[in-house]
Amino acid sequence: MLNAIKTEEYVIEEEPFYLPSGKEIEIFESAYKNLIPVIMKGPTGCGKTRFMQYMAWRFKRPLITISCHDDLTASDLVGRYLVRGGETVWLDGPLTRAVKAGGFCYLDEIVEARKDTTVVIHPLADDRRILPVEKLGEILTAPPEFLLSISYNPGYQSVLKDLKQSTRQRFLAIDFSYPDKRLEKDIIMHETGVDDLTAEKLVNFAEKTRNLKDRGLVEGASTRLLIHAAKLISSGIEPRTACDVSITEPLTDDHEMVTALSELVSSIF
Amino acid sequence: MHGSGEKHLTHLREDLVKNLRLDFFDDEDIESVLRDLQYLDRKIGQKTLALCQTLSHASSSLVPRTLKRIKNASRFLSLKEMERWINQAFDILDHQGVDHFLHFISRIDEESLWDFLMPKGLSLQEVAPVLEAYVRGISGLDLKIAPGKESYTDTSTLFVPHSVSKYEEREKNFLLYKFMLVHKWAQMVGGTLTPDAETLSAFLTDSDAPHPDIETFFRLFPEKDLAIDLYTVIEAFRLEPFLAKELPGLMREAESMKKDFLKERMPLSNLTGKSALVEGLYRFYLKGDIEGPVPGVLNNAVEEVLRLGNGATLYESMKTLFRLYDAATGLGGSYQPRSTLLFLGVIKPEEVSLHLKAERRARIKKLEGLITKLINMPAFEPRKTSFQKTVFSEKTPEPAKEYLLIKGRIIELDEETKGFIENRGGIPGGIMVKGADIGGAGCPMTLTELAEEEEIFQEADGGIKYDEWDYKRCGYKKSWCTLFEHVLHPVHDGFVDLTLKRYSGYISVLRKKFELLKREPKIARRQKEGDDIDIDAVIEAFCDARAGLSPGDNYFTRYDRHERNFAVLFLLDMSGSTKGWVNEAEKESLVLMAEALESLGDRYAVYGFSGMTRNRCDFFCIKDFDEPYTDVVKRRINGISPKDYTRMGPPIRHSTKILKSIEARTKLFITLSDGKPEDYDAYKGDYGIEDTRKALVEAKEQGIYPFCITIDREASSYLRHMYGEVNYIVIDDVKKLPNRITEIYRKLTT
Ligand SMILES: Nc1ncnc2c1ncn2[C@@H]1O[C@H](COP(=O)(O)OP(=O)(O)O)[C@@H](O)[C@H]1O
Ligand SMILES: [Mg+2]
Repeated sequence: MLNAIKTEEYVIEEEPFYLPSGKEIEIFESAYKNLIPVIMKGPTGCGKTRFMQYMAWRFKRPLITISCHDDLTASDLVGRYLVRGGETVWLDGPLTRAVKAGGFCYLDEIVEARKDTTVVIHPLADDRRILPVEKLGEILTAPPEFLLSISYNPGYQSVLKDLKQSTRQRFLAIDFSYPDKRLEKDIIMHETGVDDLTAEKLVNFAEKTRNLKDRGLVEGASTRLLIHAAKLISSGIEPRTACDVSITEPLTDDHEMVTALSELVSSIF
Repeated sequence: MHGSGEKHLTHLREDLVKNLRLDFFDDEDIESVLRDLQYLDRKIGQKTLALCQTLSHASSSLVPRTLKRIKNASRFLSLKEMERWINQAFDILDHQGVDHFLHFISRIDEESLWDFLMPKGLSLQEVAPVLEAYVRGISGLDLKIAPGKESYTDTSTLFVPHSVSKYEEREKNFLLYKFMLVHKWAQMVGGTLTPDAETLSAFLTDSDAPHPDIETFFRLFPEKDLAIDLYTVIEAFRLEPFLAKELPGLMREAESMKKDFLKERMPLSNLTGKSALVEGLYRFYLKGDIEGPVPGVLNNAVEEVLRLGNGATLYESMKTLFRLYDAATGLGGSYQPRSTLLFLGVIKPEEVSLHLKAERRARIKKLEGLITKLINMPAFEPRKTSFQKTVFSEKTPEPAKEYLLIKGRIIELDEETKGFIENRGGIPGGIMVKGADIGGAGCPMTLTELAEEEEIFQEADGGIKYDEWDYKRCGYKKSWCTLFEHVLHPVHDGFVDLTLKRYSGYISVLRKKFELLKREPKIARRQKEGDDIDIDAVIEAFCDARAGLSPGDNYFTRYDRHERNFAVLFLLDMSGSTKGWVNEAEKESLVLMAEALESLGDRYAVYGFSGMTRNRCDFFCIKDFDEPYTDVVKRRINGISPKDYTRMGPPIRHSTKILKSIEARTKLFITLSDGKPEDYDAYKGDYGIEDTRKALVEAKEQGIYPFCITIDREASSYLRHMYGEVNYIVIDDVKKLPNRITEIYRKLTT
């Protein structure tokens, strides 16, 4: 039996595994207590989503995650009328639900959303902390338990995917970068159960790919990719193959770069 | 058949003779050319005749030279090989021109010809890009790879042979390349070539050299070759465990190579004394047995070097070197340096030292330029109490600090400048004095302030004034710079046409690519009119209506040509440093960019800048936003030429102003330059970087997206600071620019 629950009831019961790299937990806590929304900046796959899950668990708040895309409309966030059995029924959008439930609302990859959608979060993100629900003619005031957070990857090169000043200046920003070597090794081991040496080699390889950022790669290997590789390895795939398919190939299509990365893999493993 | 062949040859010969005559060859010279041709093998002779005839059309003087080379080459090469060699020379002449041809035929030493004969080896050229990415990935340093006779490094470039043909298999030769490179890397990480001052001070006295380095260190050994060979192998023992830990895969594979190298070595029994000891160590390193005429000494040495494998420091390695060196010299005999191993490479202390010195010299030169300029400045009036004084607080010299005294001015020394002066070995003639000797008189100023004061009274008329950011003051210098707008002078030299021709294939692909971009269909939702019904919108409207709300009227979806609304301004560095390739690459890039933009329909403008001092910042218009891409514009592109200096702030601010006046949803500002901002005056170093950075930030604040393309082999670290995290790209090879720039633009705007 599938057990479906309502969005705003998604409370994380079990402590998510999260290893802090700096003071991010303290900073987040004090931002939360001071009713300041949070931007999580950093390349993809470095633990932003996991961090949100962890914080939601810590404060025992429901976590409402919205992955942004370019067709996301304001109604998708705030809510709309539906017709049910001849009756019109209002259905709250996830943002409205999060506000009402005093939950954590996490807008993932905010730059993917259309600019006119992004603006609906503005009144929620400054000290008014309100959400106008235009179609209902209502204004919701967020309770102090509510928290708005967004994630953003500054590494994108497209100018169309830059976060507007008017948006970013409402938030406190926590910088996420790849965890340091020892930490990243522990994360990989914990998440996948690979042995110490394999994890260390994966982290070493990751470091070498990150050295190549702006020297042929747009970005280095993320923790997520390392975990993918580690999972393959622990299910019996040969390490070099695992790295090639789950790290090298996803990173680049450039033939010379693929060759160089494969060489690095085979030098390390 | 034969007859017509003969006729053809006669014709070639006649044509050759005619050309030689035209170029004033006398009968005797012509006779000698024909005789040389006669002496060659028949088939080779025919080919050579054809080659000479072609050459004579370019320049007859090439003919005797070429004949001489061919004669020399034929001493090494068999007839068949000779034929192949001449064919290749002819090919090169046809496809790459005379320069390449001359280069090819001049390489007739044994080694080069050997390379020609052994093409089954792996050539560096073929794998250099992959290797470079490989070692940059491993090291995180911007190392370069270049061909060299041996494998060594000067700490910035890794030299490896331009081909490797030890093995039949390509993979193994490639492995050998990697093996060479990682050893160099290990040496750099281990400090082998760059021992720090502290380590060196244990072995050297102060009087040895003002700036001791690895070269000074080796001067301690009367038998330098012996010491270097020992040091190389000692360090290999120390660093190998590090490599095995960092790159276990590679080292596992390479391990088996050692045996192959062992086979090639001279048997120990042929050696005596020191040579036997050193060779013994190399053999042991290559997994050979401990054997030979000096087993006792060798055994001790082996024990010593093995100890180094447990994380020993460089200092301990050097200590070991002294002990082994003594042991070796104790054995007597003469040392025959023959120990080098291809993958360990050689250590060249002189090269390292030269490189370090060159780096230091470059820094000093910069400083000297500044100081010389200061010394040569006209004597100033004593500093007037004026506006200046209220800005810079009145300071008095501190007794313990050192100052420069130039023409009565007291100049503060910042850390950097002090470093330069110390490196240079001090400044003579009482120019450098202690604060205590100056007494309380006078107000010290910084070098920058002094350099500026020189100009403060000469303001130019006209022009547009711009503020400049002074990071030391944390404030703007008001109306500090004057910018003059010019329209660039059109030139008829066919550069644009030539570029269009040269890239014609690429351009048609480019046009298609951008054409596609323009048409990229996108479904626009919630439109007032369109091709299809937007179900989501209709349902929502229906519901709204039922709920008593006004339903709105946007129910359609429409295929939209993704509406582009861009305005882009290109700003080109026209400073003197762009002379040559960079300037050409900039121009070619513009031509390609213009083609792309024309097919895309984005609005664009192109400007160039240069200038000298803050009083003359030149801003050249090549194409305005509203100007169509006409022949005049093309001629202006022809006319883009290197001028003076690179003061980046004012042209950036001016470009921002222009972009602000343009209507467009997205405004892009792309700069093309070749590195550091630098002007004749104090606009250098951090000052220039900070002002440039500030000017870019100002542009951003105006809603403009700056993007900076820098052509720089060094990919210097200041760029990230100057341009900001995501707003720049470094292109390390100008030749890549024309192709890259259009790709960059495409990425930026989608
Ligand atoms: N600090 C961390 N603690 C625990 N796991 C982490 C950490 N950082 C990254 N991870 C792992 O990396 C994966 C990707 O992280 P994720 O949070 O999805 O990245 P992001 O949201 O930044 O793109 C996670 O599933 C988790 O396994
Ligand atoms: Mg995520």
